[in-house]
Amino acid sequence: MIDLQALTQAVGDLDEKTIMTMIEDFVATNPSGEDAQKIVFACQQGMGIVGELFEKNEYYVGDLIFAGELLSKTIDLLKPVLNDVATEKVGSIVIGTVQGDLHDIGKNIFGSMAEAAGFDVYELGVDVSPSAFVEKVKEVKPQIVGMSGVLTLAIDSMKETVKAITEAGLRDSVKIIIGGNPVNEDACKQIGADAFTTNAAEGLKTCQGWVS
Amino acid sequence: MDTKYYTTWEEYLAEHPELEGKPEQAIAPKIVKYEDAMFTFIMDLLL
Amino acid sequence: MTDAIARTNERNQLFKDLFSGKTPKRVPISNPATQDFAIQYAGLDLAECQWDLTKLEPVYDKFCQDFYTDTYPGGSIRIPSHYQILGSTPIVMSSSGFMQHPDVVGMLAEEYDEFIASPYDCIVETILPRLYTEFNGPPGKVAMALAKAMKAQADDLASLGAIRAKMNAKYGFAGMVGALTEAPFDFMSDFLRSFKGISGDVRRYPDKVAAACEAVLPLMIKKGTLPNPSMLGYTFIPLHMAPYLREKDFAALYWPTFKKMVETLAGMGQSVQLFVEQDWMRYLDYLYELPENTIMRFEYGDPKIIKEKLGKKHIISGLYPVTLLQTGTKQQCVDKAKELLDILAPGGRYWWQADKSIIHLDINGPVVENLRAVLDYVHENGTY
Repeated sequence: MIDLQALTQAVGDLDEKTIMTMIEDFVATNPSGEDAQKIVFACQQGMGIVGELFEKNEYYVGDLIFAGELLSKTIDLLKPVLNDVATEKVGSIVIGTVQGDLHDIGKNIFGSMAEAAGFDVYELGVDVSPSAFVEKVKEVKPQIVGMSGVLTLAIDSMKETVKAITEAGLRDSVKIIIGGNPVNEDACKQIGADAFTTNAAEGLKTCQGWVS
Repeated sequence: MDTKYYTTWEEYLAEHPELEGKPEQAIAPKIVKYEDAMFTFIMDLLL
Repeated sequence: MTDAIARTNERNQLFKDLFSGKTPKRVPISNPATQDFAIQYAGLDLAECQWDLTKLEPVYDKFCQDFYTDTYPGGSIRIPSHYQILGSTPIVMSSSGFMQHPDVVGMLAEEYDEFIASPYDCIVETILPRLYTEFNGPPGKVAMALAKAMKAQADDLASLGAIRAKMNAKYGFAGMVGALTEAPFDFMSDFLRSFKGISGDVRRYPDKVAAACEAVLPLMIKKGTLPNPSMLGYTFIPLHMAPYLREKDFAALYWPTFKKMVETLAGMGQSVQLFVEQDWMRYLDYLYELPENTIMRFEYGDPKIIKEKLGKKHIISGLYPVTLLQTGTKQQCVDKAKELLDILAPGGRYWWQADKSIIHLDINGPVVENLRAVLDYVHENGTY
């Protein structure tokens, strides 16, 4: 069994070579699903360190994106040995960039961090209509809806989306968080969302608070 | 610029001896203008 | 002399003074709303007007009439026709009719060496065919697609230029020319390696990123050069990636070629306007080092600190939050303009622009009224 603390630290350091070597060596031992689960947990803790360093302004958005990429590479390597284990999810969330906006970088960072934290993430993509949000909420019944946008027009689309969710009678069953460049407290109130963030790590904390 | 897709007037003239003795002051700005227009167009596609 | 010509002369003088570090007669103003906004303001269809530019003359006329500005409110515009003809993937029209830039990868990590050897060859032979579908196929078809696209863009620019000339003749805006370029690192990021790609490259192959920035620097300088450096105008450089980098990566990979670029352009005698996107507060000391009178339009930051650190050497602009126009009352919007004027105008070197462009208009919202109030307020109260 590999040194889990060392793995957590390597993820925190974003030390790609060390992480990949450790995981490849581990997979080569033909390990049990339970052991693989421990590796995933160690990586998630490493992502926690990444989030902390981000909040301390030691890491920036570029580092978060790289962290997300490392984590999905890791999970891909582990998939064959994880197969027989039911993973426990902390919650589910539907995310998308709202109608009229094609920017997805912030949303993708948030999505990969939420996944790393154990959420089931349903990703709707970009330029997502209010009705597409509503359909997905009906289908998967998430606890949380995350709407993202960079353009100022996103504010109006977010408002429309919340309206559509309310009209479909679903508003009370979900928490809504908005993220992106133009959002702030005033916009959040106008839109009728429950929370706003311009920072993926902070947004994730809000979501974790909602499902704990 | 080290490239086969942009030619300075001097390079162009060297490749086109038929222009020898023709009114360079009228030809050069025209040739260079479209060389530059293509450069700007191409670069704008990536901005 | 007509009134319009007199106004142009007066406004040209404002900008000549501003760009050379002298205190102008009053704070010059640029309307942050764009052509997209103007089309919606006229109640017309966004997509249709961008394809049929003949519809835009009355659009601009109303726009120029109703919103105070010292510069023509036409900005740099992405027109759809030539993107369509070339099969564009990096610039596309969204469902709402706005031209946007999804995150794309034009160059693969394993192509760095090819790029470094000759950036322009790599752009023409490898990158454009990946990003624009019509750059693939038999040479004859590619040549024709390129010819059609260039002709389409030239026609579109001529249409917009004709409208601009009419509006200038009628409203007397300052006559300014512009060139657009990017910091080498941003150029490598935006259409070539993508946000995600460059974020990995910075850690995996920093030496190649640095070499690529050096290699592409002469192209970016050439792209940013005005037809004649003594003309009134500026090179516009939107800055993108720095806030997302650690300072050590910024210092090693972003800053050196960017600084060289601005110094070279300024050294030719032309003005440079940076659109300082996102939060650059931790880089103010770097920005200070740029040549005197570099124009810096900030999207974010503490205006007092910016004025204190940079305001004696450089020209400050931006910072007015356009989201306030959407969410605030008229009084709040005007108060904000006053607050910024009080901080940024003393001593000159201030150009009123907003923190972002306004491209979207909710016709039932308060933006039109708030924007007009703010522009009028600054016009009337920005005198020295």
